[in-house]
Amino acid sequence: MTSYIFRYFNVAGFGETSRLLLAASKADWSDEKPEWPQEKPNQPFGRLPVLVEQSADGSPDFVLSESATIERYIARTYGFLPMDPGEAAQQEQLRDRLNDVVIAFFTPNLVDASAREAKNAEFVGLLDRLFSVHSELLRKNGNNGHLFGTELSYADIATYAFLRMFLVNPMESLKQSPQLVKSKLTPELVKLAVTAEADPLLEAYVSKRGKVADVVQV
Amino acid sequence: MSTSSFTLRYFNTAGLAETIRLLLTAANVDWTEEHPEWPAEKSNQPFGRLPVLIQKSDDGDADFVISESVTIERYLARTYGFLPADPRKAALQEQIRDRLTDIILAFYMQRVASDDKKNELVTKFEDLLKKQVEVSSQALRENGNNGHFFGGELTYVDIATYAFFKYLVVSVKDMQESVSELAKASLTPELHKLISVIEADPLLAAQVDKTEKLVSVLSA
Repeated sequence: MTSYIFRYFNVAGFGETSRLLLAASKADWSDEKPEWPQEKPNQPFGRLPVLVEQSADGSPDFVLSESATIERYIARTYGFLPMDPGEAAQQEQLRDRLNDVVIAFFTPNLVDASAREAKNAEFVGLLDRLFSVHSELLRKNGNNGHLFGTELSYADIATYAFLRMFLVNPMESLKQSPQLVKSKLTPELVKLAVTAEADPLLEAYVSKRGKVADVVQV
Repeated sequence: MSTSSFTLRYFNTAGLAETIRLLLTAANVDWTEEHPEWPAEKSNQPFGRLPVLIQKSDDGDADFVISESVTIERYLARTYGFLPADPRKAALQEQIRDRLTDIILAFYMQRVASDDKKNELVTKFEDLLKKQVEVSSQALRENGNNGHFFGGELTYVDIATYAFFKYLVVSVKDMQESVSELAKASLTPELHKLISVIEADPLLAAQVDKTEKLVSVLSA
């Protein structure tokens, strides 16, 4: 039996999609929160997250870095990403967009006060467009709570993780954004979240760690 | 059997699309570039951004359109055999490429940073670059220092690494000369070898020959 250690900080951040994928895979897995920065030199690239895949037959651990690569590896191994490169690409591009929006959220904190308003506006613009594109895809797919097909997919999980990050026990540093994200939710996106949370593959995870459904009007 | 042709929609610069151009060239497919009026054409793109890749097939199917530079790269690399089918082997290449994306992001962050944050972000960028050079050079050495990360043939990560250093040394020079100089100075013999092997690869000649070779820029 293969088992996994997911090494990351104790926040949703760039780790939530991987955790959800591990939960949905039904594989044996655990979180590991290393002492930081003491454990920095012990990571392959000096950063987190890191995924350690351990096999039961005693062969060496397989260690991966980079959140997006880790996500795709788990998603591919457990069938949450299709084998067809074109179909996989359609899901992966959505994940890249979600990531861009998260980065755009943190950027205003880094720039001069004079540039902050423009950077904030950029974040809101990207968020609007993201939600609009996602909602359109959900509608086109029959508004069944899935972006593609009829089953929980990588794209569903990555989108759901994005919503969780802002809505379920959000970090202090997210400030007013949870309110903003909540106010921009569409019925289609709410349905995606509710559908993911009702999926037997994620039930155990969300019952322990909180639900979007408890925070929004369902 | 249908054949495909591709249109890459991007700005008329190396920027974040060079790896895509090199992959299209190495794949030996029919491809062209389109440089849309910007920002006039912004709302006509699926996500309002560039690059966009359009794949047309000659059997009448609808165009296949993909956004996001790294997703486009992986799609081409997978389809044309520059990424292995084995998920672990592919993941080992992809993680290196994702690191390069992080470093470019760190580069942009230190450019836009406010004065009080600048030092911290410059250090972060420089540390990431240093570690990448260290880890990459070790991997190249362990593979026999033949200019490739894996085996003896051109792979996705070879191309992405080449394009990354070309970006930092050449494209960034006008934006921030100090970074260009730092990137140049950080190159190890293993990375120099990779650069010269990539630029000599006949699969890439059509694209590499469009601009001054990095090898000549570095020896100037």
